Order: sequence, then C-alpha cells, then structure tokens
Amino acid sequence: MSKQVGVVFAKELREVLRDRRTLIFMLLVPTVAVPLFMWISTELVTHFATKLAREEARVLLLNPGAAPELVRRLRDSSSLEQTARRIEQVLVGAGLSVEELALLKGEPKAFMRLLEKKGIAADELVGKLRRATGTADLDADPKQLLAGLAPPRIQWLEEAPAGVDAAALAAAGRRRHELLEAVRRRKLAAAVEFDPRAESLLGEERSAPVKIFYLESSDRSRAALKSLRRMLATLGREILAERLRDRNLDPGFARPLAVRAERLPGPGFMAKLLSMLLPYMILIFALAGAMYPAIDLGAGEKERGTLETLLAAPVDRLALVLGKFGVVMVAALVSALLATLSLTVSMRAGVLGTLSLIGGEGFSFSLVEAGWAFLVVIPTAGIFAALLLVLSVFARSFKEAQSYANPLQMFVILPAFVSFIPGVDFDAGTALIPVVNVSLALKAIFTGNLDQHYLHLGLLFLSSAVLAAGLLLFTTWWFRREQVLFRG
Amino acid sequence: MPSANEPTIDCRELSKHFHDRKRGLVRAVDGISFQARAGEVFGLLGINGAGKTTTLRLLATLLRPSGGDARVAGFSINERPAAVRANIGFLTMSTGLYGRLTVREMIEYFGRLHGLERERLARRTEELFERFDIASFAGRRCDKLSSGMKQKVSIVRCVLHDPAVMILDEPTASLDVLAARNIVEFIADSRSRGKCVLLSTHSMAEAEKLCDRVGVIHRGRLLACDGIAALRGSSPSGRLEDAFVKLVEERAS
Repeated sequence: MSKQVGVVFAKELREVLRDRRTLIFMLLVPTVAVPLFMWISTELVTHFATKLAREEARVLLLNPGAAPELVRRLRDSSSLEQTARRIEQVLVGAGLSVEELALLKGEPKAFMRLLEKKGIAADELVGKLRRATGTADLDADPKQLLAGLAPPRIQWLEEAPAGVDAAALAAAGRRRHELLEAVRRRKLAAAVEFDPRAESLLGEERSAPVKIFYLESSDRSRAALKSLRRMLATLGREILAERLRDRNLDPGFARPLAVRAERLPGPGFMAKLLSMLLPYMILIFALAGAMYPAIDLGAGEKERGTLETLLAAPVDRLALVLGKFGVVMVAALVSALLATLSLTVSMRAGVLGTLSLIGGEGFSFSLVEAGWAFLVVIPTAGIFAALLLVLSVFARSFKEAQSYANPLQMFVILPAFVSFIPGVDFDAGTALIPVVNVSLALKAIFTGNLDQHYLHLGLLFLSSAVLAAGLLLFTTWWFRREQVLFRG
Repeated sequence: MPSANEPTIDCRELSKHFHDRKRGLVRAVDGISFQARAGEVFGLLGINGAGKTTTLRLLATLLRPSGGDARVAGFSINERPAAVRANIGFLTMSTGLYGRLTVREMIEYFGRLHGLERERLARRTEELFERFDIASFAGRRCDKLSSGMKQKVSIVRCVLHDPAVMILDEPTASLDVLAARNIVEFIADSRSRGKCVLLSTHSMAEAEKLCDRVGVIHRGRLLACDGIAALRGSSPSGRLEDAFVKLVEERAS
C-alpha cells in the first residue's frame, strides 16, 4: 500500500512537472511575476506621487481685497512655501533627488540610512538647513524638515482664471457650484475666502475666520488643502509670536506643553505593510499553485479518459488519493515558498528599487522565520489540497473544475485578508479559524512577535491538522463513490 | 484459481440500478446472466444506452452491482474486487494514455501498480515492445504518438500483467482502419493464447467478424445469447442485423 502511494506520487509529480500551465502558475508567477509586479507598482506610485508633489496648485483668493496684509504675508518670502524651496535646494545640493525626498517622508530612520549610504553627515545637513531657512523653530527631526516638501507649491490667483465665471463666483447662491466645477475641470485646486472683517479682527487681537474650499474626491485638491492649512497655521504662529512679543511674554506662554513624540526603534511602516502583505500573498499562492495540479489530477483524468483504466488496475483507492493529495500539497507549498523567497530576496538585493530602501527595517526575515512560516503553512496547504481534489474529482471536465475552484479562491482571499485588518489579534480564538489563523500567525512571525504566540501556534497546528485530516478522509470516501467518479 | 472446466466469466443475474433525478429509477443492467470461456471471444451487442458499458464496468469492478454476482477468473466481483482487477486487462474507447509521460514511463507506471517486480517488469516490457514494434518510439511522449501507435501502447498496457480476461469496451469505435487492425489482430492473438475476451460493440459487422458468441443486450436485458451462426439462422434472411432487429422488436411488443 505505502509502495503504491509512492508509485502514484512519483508518477503524478513527474506529469505535473511536465505541464506548462502548472509550471507557469507554480514556478514562474511567484518567482518572476510577483517581484516584477511589485516593482512596477511601486515605481508607478513613486512617479505619480512625485509628479503631484512637484505640480503647482492653483488657489484662488476669492476676496484678496478683504485682507491685503494677510495676502501679502502669505505670499511673502518668509512663508513656508519659500522655506520648503530652500530646504529642497539644500537637499538637492547635498546630492539627494527630489524623488527620494518625496518617498522618504514618513521613514526618518531609512532617510538617515540613505544619508549614510551617500556619505552625507546628518548634523551638517541639519545645520545647513537651519542656516538656509533662518528659523531656529525648525525641528531637528528630518521628518519635520521633509514635511515641508511634500505639499504642492501654491500658485496664488487673485482673479478667476479663464473658463471660470467671475460673476457666478460673486453670486452667493452660485458660488459653491461654480467652485466645484472649477476644481473638477482642474482650473483650480482650491479657493480661500477671508472674513471681510479679518484684518480689523486681527487688529483687535481676536481670531480671523478663513475659509478653504476644496473637493474631497480630488487628490490635487486635498493636497492643496493640506498645504494651505500648514501655511495658514505657520502664519498664525507668526502672528501669535508677534502678539506675545508685544506683551513681553515668553513663547512658552501660548504653548504650555511642548509635546514631542519619540519613536522607538521598532518595526517601521514598510515592515508593517510587508507583514500584512506577505501572509496574504503566501496563502493566495499556496492555493493558486495547487489549483492546476489538483484539477489536472482529478477532472483531467476524467476528461482524458484515463480514470477508467486507472481504476481498473489493482491499485488501492486510498493509495491513489494519498499519492495525488501529496503532489497537490507539495505544489501548494512550493508555490508559497517561492513567492515568499522571491519577494524577500529581491527586496534584499534592491531589485525593488525604492521599496528596498525602506523595507528591511524591523521586518524579521531570516532562515528561522522562513522555517516557521513554512511549518505554519503546511497543514493549511493540506486543507487546500483536499478541498481542491474534492472539487476536481467531482467535476466532469477541466472547465467544470475551474468554475468550482474560482469561488473557492474567494473563500481564501477573504480570510487571508484578515492580516490587513487592524486590531485582529492572533489569540486562542482566532487560532482555531482556518486560513485566518495562518494569516495572523505569519503576521506575528514577520513582525518578530512569535515568542508571545507559542500556545496559539500549537492550537493552529492542532486545529488545522484535524481539519486537513478530516477533509482527507472525506476525499478518500468521495473518491470511492461511483456517483462521483462516473457522473453523467 | 478457477478450476479447468469453470467458465472464465460467469455472470449471474447481474443488475445495476441508478437513481436519476429526471427519469427516476433506471435499470441500466437488469438481471443479466451469461458465461464466457477461455479461448473464446464473447461480444455484447446492443445499441447505445443498452447497458453494454455498464455491464463491462460491473465486471471490471469499477461499479458495484445492485444485485447478482459474477465470477471473473474465479473471483467474485462482490467479494474479491481487487483480485478481479489483478486478473483483467481493460481497454476503453479512449486509449487512456497519460500524454505527458513517455511510452516507457506509462507502461512502467501500470506495471508497478500491478505489483510487478522491477526485473520482471523490465523483461516483460522488452518482450512486448518487440512484439508490438514499439521500441522505436518508446522514449516519445504519449501525446506525440499517432493514433495507431497509441493503440499499440494501450494494448501493451492491457496485457502487461498477462491477465486471463480481456475486457474491451467498443474497442474499434472511433479508430481509423489501420489502428483498428491492431485491435483485430490483438483479439485474434489473445484467443489463440487461450484468453477469454469480452467486448462490447454496436456494430453487427464487427460482432460477426470478431466474436465466437454474442449476447444481444437491450434496455439492460439479455435478449439472446448464442453463436453467430445460430443467431443468423433465427432470421429468414440469414443476416445478423435482421435477427437483431427481430429480437428487439419482439421485446418491444
């Protein structure tokens, strides 16, 4: 019996390895297509994010006459926009590209590593930045410095641009609609309106209302809003500083608590993203890699008319099922393993360009993690293999089997997606839910939190193995049913 | 093992009923009895859907009977299905080859499933490859073979373990003349080697050409079971086709 299992396994494996379709899905897609896809998508995102950051945002001042002093100060060289330009000049002068700057915001530690790589002394750079901007107020944290570069530069318009009806803007009833149309047609990114009494209110040391019109669904408009908020806030701080000076008060008077968040040297943003993305990919590839072999080994035998002759041979049905099951499971594991390895290796090797610069930090991936990840996936690969074989044996043809397997993918995609949901923990409860448990366990492994979850891992193995064994038993029973084998 | 005078295939009141959602209970095979001996070619003759394939599948233990029993090569299909399978060679309409395996791998696979030892398998393979003129394309993948070549490989697979019984389901249907000749020769050869050959066919000409005795099967029942000459004689015209139509019409009335 065990000899027969080996004979069936060897033959099925040989056949699967000679099938071009299987090879493409099991080997080529995970090793080549996945890193390529990731690389292209990051490059695209980078490209368009930088383009957006470099564009000038056209902001219409609806009533510049109402607050000439504010308008002057917004346009003044001491505004944040000018500061940002100077920061950019300094950084570009130091040998950093604008693209790198735009991407590196949010990852200060990676930024520091980049400086190191390029042989730029961080202290010196910050000193240069301070001198160039002339503001001691600037935080030494590069993240703060870089924040000024992210928003688009503002191009102030004091009159409605061509194509926007000034009369309609003036009419209170039609103004919102006209602005909406202007933003939609990209004539404007946003508009600013001062309270008519803004300057007199400021003179009385009161608060002057300023309204920003923007469109939530437009990336350009939201970027302009962000930029405007920051500029107006800076201007507001300047005015506050003047008021305090006039009264001989310390700047601390208006800022009783000086709060600053200090980041611990743990996993960064990209590490978090990868620890969410990788479990998902591993599970999807485990299923995708197993799909074609499974269909080929079940429905394929029916379609090609080999099943009858095979069943007429004195081979134990259990040996047939186990041999086939083994090959499908191996296909699932190989495909998942290749996807994981190709992604991490190409990331290490820097193939992914910008992503690799910021990826590694806090993301645990050594042979130990790879080994754990492989172990965790094994019982679930068994579950996939059994499920796919059940469907495949039931189907009359390759096509029919494919139409059954596709909805199964949805059942895997949804629970695998759980690694993306914040706040779902790998605990005694979730460790019992198939697929979900693997997704969460892999996330824990890749963020280096495995040591807190040994008990849950045990539960995962136990529950998944029981389920896989149950499904395998069912598959064997299923494979003995003549109504299944000789349908129609 | 069967005793010398026991028929190689002994089919007694064999039945197979299905439940069909549209048609209700279907009696695909309805109490069939016949015998076939070593060195004899026995044909099941009937139109499509008469129950021929189901009968052969029952005897090959692919399906379990709803009633009755049969002894094949001395083993009951109900009690010793594995022993039955070890003693039959089964050939279907499709050649049933694995396209991505080479001829040699394909034959080796079935040899090992039949539990042949490596050495014996190697000897038997060489012998058969020579007999069927296969050696020249033994290293080629099965899906790259002509239909005649495929047919030969399929025959080798069928006789590899030297079974006492050959069960052939519509062996020449959908074959071209040359490929069909392989089968005809194979059947004649099997008979001369003292094998019991059971085949199904819907062709009168084929039945006349190949079979010693014929069972006429219709709607799951065996209407007649006799030698070709005796069946011919039951019709005034002396033609098998007329005898067949007469039997079926008598049954319908």
